Amino acid sequence: MSVPIEPPSRGVNALRLHRQLTAIWATGKGVQRLASVNHTVIGLRMMITSFVFFAIAGILGMLTRVQLATPHATFMDVETYNQVFTMHGSMMLFLFAIPMVESFAVYLTPKILGTRDFAFPRLTAYGYWCYLFGGTILTVSLILRSAPDGGWFMYTPLSSNVYTPGLNADVWLLGITFVEISALSLAMEIVVSILKMRAPGMSLDRMPIFAWYILVTAMMMIVAFPPLILGSILLEVERAFNLPFFDPTRGGDPLLWQHLFWLFGHPDVYIIFLPMAGVLSTMIPVFARRRLVGYRTIVVAIIALAFLSFGIWVHHMFTVGIPHLALAFFSAGSAIVAVPTAIQFFAWLATLSHGRPRWDVPMLYIFGFFFAFTCGGLTGVMLAMVPFDWQAHDTYFVVAHMHYVVAGALAFPMLAAFYYWLPLLTGRTAVHRLSVPAFWLVFIGFNMTFFMMHLTGLLGMPRRIFTYSGDEGWNWLNLLSSVGSFVMTIGFALVLIDIIVQVRFGRRVRRNPWESTTLEWAMPTPPAPYAFASIPHMDAETEKVPPGQLATSLARGEGYLGFTRNGWQEALGVHMTSGEPEQLIVLPNATYLPLVTAIVTCAAVLAMLFKFYLGSAAFAFVTFGLFIYAGQHAGLARDYGALPVGRGVSVPPHTEVAGSPSWLSLICALVANGTLFTSLVFGTFYLWIAAPNWPAAVTPQPSRLLALIAAIALAVAAATTRGSLRAAAANRKPHGTIALTVIALIVALAADMMLINGVTPNPREHALGATAAALLTYIAIHAGVGLLFLISSILRLGAGFISARRLTDLRLTRLWVDYTLATGLIALGLVLALPSLVAMLGAKP
Amino acid sequence: MNERPLSPRRLWWLAVGFTIWCLAFVILYAMHAIGCAFGWPTTTLRVSLAVVLLLHLIAIGWLWRYRAVAIRDPGPERISTFMHTVVIWTLIAALAATVITFGPALLLTTCV
Repeated sequence: MSVPIEPPSRGVNALRLHRQLTAIWATGKGVQRLASVNHTVIGLRMMITSFVFFAIAGILGMLTRVQLATPHATFMDVETYNQVFTMHGSMMLFLFAIPMVESFAVYLTPKILGTRDFAFPRLTAYGYWCYLFGGTILTVSLILRSAPDGGWFMYTPLSSNVYTPGLNADVWLLGITFVEISALSLAMEIVVSILKMRAPGMSLDRMPIFAWYILVTAMMMIVAFPPLILGSILLEVERAFNLPFFDPTRGGDPLLWQHLFWLFGHPDVYIIFLPMAGVLSTMIPVFARRRLVGYRTIVVAIIALAFLSFGIWVHHMFTVGIPHLALAFFSAGSAIVAVPTAIQFFAWLATLSHGRPRWDVPMLYIFGFFFAFTCGGLTGVMLAMVPFDWQAHDTYFVVAHMHYVVAGALAFPMLAAFYYWLPLLTGRTAVHRLSVPAFWLVFIGFNMTFFMMHLTGLLGMPRRIFTYSGDEGWNWLNLLSSVGSFVMTIGFALVLIDIIVQVRFGRRVRRNPWESTTLEWAMPTPPAPYAFASIPHMDAETEKVPPGQLATSLARGEGYLGFTRNGWQEALGVHMTSGEPEQLIVLPNATYLPLVTAIVTCAAVLAMLFKFYLGSAAFAFVTFGLFIYAGQHAGLARDYGALPVGRGVSVPPHTEVAGSPSWLSLICALVANGTLFTSLVFGTFYLWIAAPNWPAAVTPQPSRLLALIAAIALAVAAATTRGSLRAAAANRKPHGTIALTVIALIVALAADMMLINGVTPNPREHALGATAAALLTYIAIHAGVGLLFLISSILRLGAGFISARRLTDLRLTRLWVDYTLATGLIALGLVLALPSLVAMLGAKP
Repeated sequence: MNERPLSPRRLWWLAVGFTIWCLAFVILYAMHAIGCAFGWPTTTLRVSLAVVLLLHLIAIGWLWRYRAVAIRDPGPERISTFMHTVVIWTLIAALAATVITFGPALLLTTCV
């Protein structure tokens, strides 16, 4: 059936179109707000939530400054202080910085790209709820005085059971991992949406520079988060089930945690910086009143920065005893990472110097950023030099550097962005009488607080100390630092008042008050739930049209999809490079499912936290069930063929094309998953080469027969998924081959479980057995998820969601099973190779 | 609209140069760790590291030459020219990064 349904009505006026689209896209009132999946609503909620966590973390930071203002202070006891400074760092990094940059991405990216929403609105909502619940768990733990207290990077062995026996470390490991689910899901969503959902005609070279920054950042998140997720899982498993991955007395190594943590931790600095650099690259040309200098050079610099940031994690570990030659790799890498950063700096300066800059509040904060980030960058190069780092390591110099880089790179551009985009959110502009003094208070307070820390650090003040004796020469510097923190807080309070005043009483402004050229200004202010009444076609001509003029044309429905059809939430999918329209994406409507799924996921996390493991497994099972349930109504239950989308173009719905957003999202998910697996393999080799107490007293003896059965079963599963796909494509019933795949995966699962049962040495007695068990468990989980894919396919076959044209489900299943086979063979091979690897250790001098 | 838009597979080229840099990083770091742990003679370890470094430099250099010389005409579309320029410069950046980051493998004492 390829007959277009409900052909678009012609001649609709702007108001009627607005009403029709609002009826479809708007979030309901009252409790229905909880069902919202719209990116504008979720982005705004994330922004507000992250600001609440910022306020809490800021207050915690002030408490530490009160404690350190004078020697021998008794403001807090040591246990409270440990919780306060740990939570200050953890909340600032995980609950404020990353979610804040993501909230900007969520709110702005679809608008800047000229599309109506993200590819997976329910995932956006699920990500938000996970973030909120994870953050709440951490915050409540603080109130209950059970908050994490081992520092924001949770170094082992301090955070292991022996030295932190209570719930404190578990709260961090589970709460942060929960929040990371949110970050990862949003990152995948962003990559898919940028590559597949831009305005038609917006080829990659026409894409606003902000989108390049966000795209690269999201890709970095997909690769950066899995090592920390793996580390958190392994440490939690060690704490909960006594598998000694980090215990040096049983073949583990505490430094493995540091590697896994900083494999995430260093790129994280750039994950925070790059979106803010994107904000600057968007705003500076507007205020300089000329195009950005060096667009292509900046794209190269962003790509270089993304990769280089992954190769310098050991510069956080210069003092752990790694040979000098290896340190030199990381030292050189840490120094040259300044080059792509400097390229962006000079591009911004060139844009300003070649333009006709005008001053306004955002420019003040841009100036603040230049100052703070230059200072932070220079001390970064100092710390990249190994001899200097050895002197300054674990002192307040590092604390100062970190705050100049992370806080400076985040806070100043963030506030600039707030003042820049607030007229879009509210239709009003700032009251200068408050904005300007607020900036100076923040700027002076920031430098007063953190510059002094360079000096206390150089005078030898260690990080994390609870108090000091007073004869070290740090007294006046610490007091100034503390006073500065209060000045900065007053500045932030003034910013908050200014924003509230602006929202309530600000001067009303016309659309696009800054005369920007990006598409977010080509829509109603505040934005309508559907963002664009019709989607623009971007070409050289459109780029010359001012957004205000374009907005009027789009509101009249003169772009793509300037009509409604079937009550569908429609957006366009485009070719990844050229931006030509390829598919009609029908997005899901508002639903409580993301909220319910996040609540159940939260229950699984809480049950794990309180050591109710069976309950946790049950809730995790229900979570998977809800994902399958959500999948049951995704897509379209019949074939439509090409449907008109306006401007004389017809494209098939996303369910009938090979390159649908789901396909790309699974590839992103597998890249993240593959990074986690690679980290696990790295961990195995790391323990083999570096951990003390290898080999174990008992030699591993994995069953080759069981491994062979598991490998063959996985290969059969991969082959039969192809059979299912061929059968469905030929309009034959694929049930038989699907059943064969199910059997093959069950056999693989059974063989794998038997291998886990037979692991020697006992996983609780030695890390050798623990790593083998971890590798085998990885296979078991993937075979299990493969079964879920198959169950979903069977249900959707029955409901008519799969046909010869609509093969996405079966293609996704094939990709998953192929991945399971590939990683399964590597994992089984490594487990079988362990006896030989252990035997090789005999040759060590 | 264009008849044959630039294939999405070409996007992988944006990452090729620095992926080789990453590969060099992993192999050199691992080889150095294994060599030191198992007490390889200094010369053997140094030569092994130098060979690995050289192979990666050749790989990036060859790709640069292939892109810059073999594909002189990236195509009439603006996106093709854009991609060509960006890929060439990421390869050059990756080559420079490889020399600077791993150059110490040829100079410093191996296992101290």
